[in-house]
Amino acid sequence: MNETDKNNISKATPPSGAGGLKFSNETMELVKSIIKRYPEGKQKSALLPTLHLAQAEFDGWLSVPVMDHVAEVLQIKPIEVYEVASFYSMFNLKPGGKCLIEVCRTSSCWLRGAEDIIHHIEKKLNIKAGETTPDGKFTLKTVECLGSCGTAPMLQIGEQYHENLTMDKVDSLLDTWKNSDKHSTYLDTNTFRKN
Amino acid sequence: MNNTITLKPKQEIKLAYIDNIPYEIKDGETILSFVKRYKGKKAVPTLCDAPNLDPFGSCRVCSVDVALAKDGPVKTQASCHTPVMPGSFIYPDSDRVQKLRKNIVELVLTDHPLDCLTCEVNNNCELQEVAARVGVRDVRYPAGKNHLDRKKDLSHPYMTSDFSKCINCFRCVRACDEVQGQFVLSMAGRGFDSHIVKGQETTFNLSDCVSCGACAQACPTSAISDVFESKSIVADKKVRTICTYCGVGCNLEVAVKGGIIKSIQAPYDAEVNTGHTCLKGRFAFSFYNHPERIKTPLIKRNGVFEEASWDEAYDFIAKELTRIKTDHGSDFIAGISSARCTNEENYLMQKFIRAVIGTNNIDSCARVCHSPTAHGMQETFGTGAATNSIVDLKVTDCIMVIGANATDAHPVTGAKLKQFALSGKPSIVIDPRKIELANYATYHLQLRPGTNVALLNMMFYFIIEAGLEDKNFIAARTEGYEAFRKNILKLDMNEMERITGVDRELVKKAAIAYASAPKAMSFHGLGVTEHSQGSFTVMQIADLALITGNIGRHGVGVNPLRGQNNVQGAADMGCQPHQGAGYYSVSDSLNHEVYENFYQAKLPMHKGYKIPEMFNASLDNKLKAMWVIGEDIAQTDPNTHKVVAALNNLELFVVQELFMTETAKLATVILPGASFFEKSGTFTNGERRIQAVHQVVEPLKGTKVDGQIIVDIMNKMGYAQPDYHPDNVLKEISQIVQFFEGVKWDELGINGKQWPVNKGGKGTQVLHTKGFMSGKGKFIYKDFAESQELIDHGKEYPYIITTNRELEHYNCGAMTRRTKNVLINTEDVLLICAEDAAKHLINDGDMVCVESPRGKVDVRAKITDEVKPGILSSTFHFPEVMLNNITSDVHDSEAMCPEYKVVACTIRKSKGKYKEKV
Ligand code: SF4
Ligand code: SF4
Ligand code: SF4
Ligand code: FES
Ligand code: FES
Repeated sequence: MNETDKNNISKATPPSGAGGLKFSNETMELVKSIIKRYPEGKQKSALLPTLHLAQAEFDGWLSVPVMDHVAEVLQIKPIEVYEVASFYSMFNLKPGGKCLIEVCRTSSCWLRGAEDIIHHIEKKLNIKAGETTPDGKFTLKTVECLGSCGTAPMLQIGEQYHENLTMDKVDSLLDTWKNSDKHSTYLDTNTFRKN
Repeated sequence: MNNTITLKPKQEIKLAYIDNIPYEIKDGETILSFVKRYKGKKAVPTLCDAPNLDPFGSCRVCSVDVALAKDGPVKTQASCHTPVMPGSFIYPDSDRVQKLRKNIVELVLTDHPLDCLTCEVNNNCELQEVAARVGVRDVRYPAGKNHLDRKKDLSHPYMTSDFSKCINCFRCVRACDEVQGQFVLSMAGRGFDSHIVKGQETTFNLSDCVSCGACAQACPTSAISDVFESKSIVADKKVRTICTYCGVGCNLEVAVKGGIIKSIQAPYDAEVNTGHTCLKGRFAFSFYNHPERIKTPLIKRNGVFEEASWDEAYDFIAKELTRIKTDHGSDFIAGISSARCTNEENYLMQKFIRAVIGTNNIDSCARVCHSPTAHGMQETFGTGAATNSIVDLKVTDCIMVIGANATDAHPVTGAKLKQFALSGKPSIVIDPRKIELANYATYHLQLRPGTNVALLNMMFYFIIEAGLEDKNFIAARTEGYEAFRKNILKLDMNEMERITGVDRELVKKAAIAYASAPKAMSFHGLGVTEHSQGSFTVMQIADLALITGNIGRHGVGVNPLRGQNNVQGAADMGCQPHQGAGYYSVSDSLNHEVYENFYQAKLPMHKGYKIPEMFNASLDNKLKAMWVIGEDIAQTDPNTHKVVAALNNLELFVVQELFMTETAKLATVILPGASFFEKSGTFTNGERRIQAVHQVVEPLKGTKVDGQIIVDIMNKMGYAQPDYHPDNVLKEISQIVQFFEGVKWDELGINGKQWPVNKGGKGTQVLHTKGFMSGKGKFIYKDFAESQELIDHGKEYPYIITTNRELEHYNCGAMTRRTKNVLINTEDVLLICAEDAAKHLINDGDMVCVESPRGKVDVRAKITDEVKPGILSSTFHFPEVMLNNITSDVHDSEAMCPEYKVVACTIRKSKGKYKEKV
């Protein structure tokens, strides 16, 4: 995400709730159990997982009201949430497409044709990297090495890696997502539950 | 190698080497402070380091080479946050570090506008200085992406930012967190995208910023500054003086050009405020040359003010005073001095009233704020002043803050209390309102207004029950404990719980926290004193310190947060009807003789009127003339209707003022006084610190220094008093006020002295270290008594309104309303909880009519969770609202301080005069 993106964080509230927006009871329980992992008074340590849960619950991005809610739940200052949320590229501060495609563009992937993959997707979706399709379905982003160089080129959709990419693979991925109603998220809430 | 010198057995000196020469290390110091101490302040360049912030280590400009052996292999370390290691060899200016520093600065400059010539901080920029110092001549890196197009933020009345000049040093963020504790600023994003944000990418105006200016002062460039450009060097001179807005007594450094005040900064070497202020001290100065300043004496003839010369005015007053004195007697004349004036002026005022007029009818606004503190502490300890100093917060283990909303009323001390609470150490807040500090405190005892006595009695009960009293201290240094203890143990905690409305378990926990801390400090404010049981509450707070042995050491004690800047001084100087300068009783024949000899005048021995008694006397035709300095009694004293009637009944009413206040409008003669920027003298802050106030600018044409006005009239009335100069008045004071014995004008230094100051000029940080003035500390038991106001009117008027202060305004607001502070805080509002608002169909922002037995006012509602159901709160900074129309003149039974904090009232949605504005 470039700087202008960051500076114009959206003040809009996601559709899931205006004003009195809140975690579902289920998520709230989960957050509480995460807080319990840390010593009393150190609930700030639960910030990253809580933000992931928030992003998953509220349409794949963190609006100001969502971050304020997280601050309230963790009893920390809103700015402490914001500085963290804006630091990690995995948190979206603006609404994006339902399917977030992150293509690795670092050396190994680049040597193995990442650039072509990116151009291919750009052409197919008729957007540039960093943009979202008008129907709100796809957002395309380029990212740095995702640690999967052995299977380059690769991309990530939510928490799924798609490796050894070919144009065909990419096409079928895009088709699957086009017809799906799902939201790509970094977490399958079950991962949290198991801990 | 031997890096320690053994002097005596066990006493070792640790050494480290700077350029191979050994120097002694202080415990826990960083390489930077070590090198600076020996090689001068400029020995190592720094960028992210700041005098009042913790070391951070983000810029690496302070890097030095460190080796374990002489000329051994070196490692580069950031000196500002690395402790010195004994035996290490430090090379602060090696070629390697010089290159490194230069490279760092070059990198910074790749993303800097380099428009120094037109920059506010030209010649006062730390980046510029470091660049010059490391010798950057060109930037070797090709131009790349940059942030030069970042927009300025000019949204706020005071604070500004231009982040194209930001070097990401984090100083502003740390200032906001560590100094003010406001958490407005932070660094968002990462890498190239890192940037300072206010809140979540908002502006100063929309953020939670309280405009303390700490970040602006901390910023090494002009990336954050203020509208007065306080970091520019345009001024001809900088004058150090003391803020007039509250009893914290912050030191200010005022920049003046061509006789006009340009801006204000806070000196780092001030013990009181170390580079910090609140927005009143730093920004609210433009009242001083406001066009509405009164610039000539005014005499009211046939109901209209006519301009007069000083001589005319003096003659008029002298004639009238003499007439009233001859016709009715001296006791028909009274004076009210001002806690905003200097010690010297207060001294002269009481001397004028006593020695020239011949009456003890002299009081000061301390009456309406901290008179119960003086009284209560005199009863228990023998001295009516703070026992300790604010710096003791650094060593204490527990704080109890009762009836003091310090973050609004004493902001710099408030910020320190907040830092203490944030540190996680036990902090107790006793307040009917969920004040800012309550959000950080360990315990918030949110009692019903007016029940302090009951709540403190509960604390005593639980302390005694848990056996936590300090038996040795009680035996050695107090009296009256047995009877006290018996009374406490008789109390029924269920009943007390019902009275205060606070869960007894919570009170118990707080009591135990206070009593079991090795050192506990208490702070109190007007929420203690402005009650019918105000003096008793002060005695209880004092006794709480006695029962736990929290007296006479660092980090303990009873610390009233004095309201106005010189409330302490006004009382010290004798502006009280029963005690003269230095607190000697006027009715004691020995003292009387001393005073008569000293003033060379005949003095009365009977006590004079306290302020509320003056109003009664006037209404009873027993008072014909009053003289008031710098105090808007019509707006700020309770029960406005009565006050106004009393003042209208006078034959002569002289007012010394800056502006046409509500009080001045009622005057017979107005004398234009001078603001604190225009005079010299001393103020005594809440920790007994006598500090020098230096004249910054000449008094506005036509106005006079208040002290000189009093001297003039004294001479006019036949008493020879030399012209006002702090030096000579202070000398006179030091001869009569024992605790000022060693105070000399030119020896006050930059940080003043805390009284008592002995002959040799040595001040005192902690009182009662060995004994009390009165011998032993006294335990005085008092039962809780319901406020008469509620007994009389509680049924008909079921709500309780309590008055408070807002950060942005000072008292009647005559000064702060004439600054841009009004753009930040625009009107008095009524705090009301959602439940009560709903009951009366009141929405946020609606005008509400608040009615008490004395009158009614319309005020705008603000729905908040700060107050509990049944409780309301508001301020009296604005004459538009005139909240004191409804306050009661019920007062403290002992010191007659009015009960501003408990007023019975009803509320309804207003149909009244402001309706169309809504
Ligand atoms: S002015 Fe004070 S409160 Fe505001 S951002 Fe700066 S440091 Fe924080
Ligand atoms: S605004 Fe100033 S203090 Fe804050 S990081 Fe930037 S340069 Fe440093
Ligand atoms: S805290 Fe008090 S003394 Fe300090 S600047 Fe603010 S008003 Fe002035
Ligand atoms: S370079 Fe693409 S995964 Fe490492
Ligand atoms: S001054 Fe030491 S790292 Fe910045």
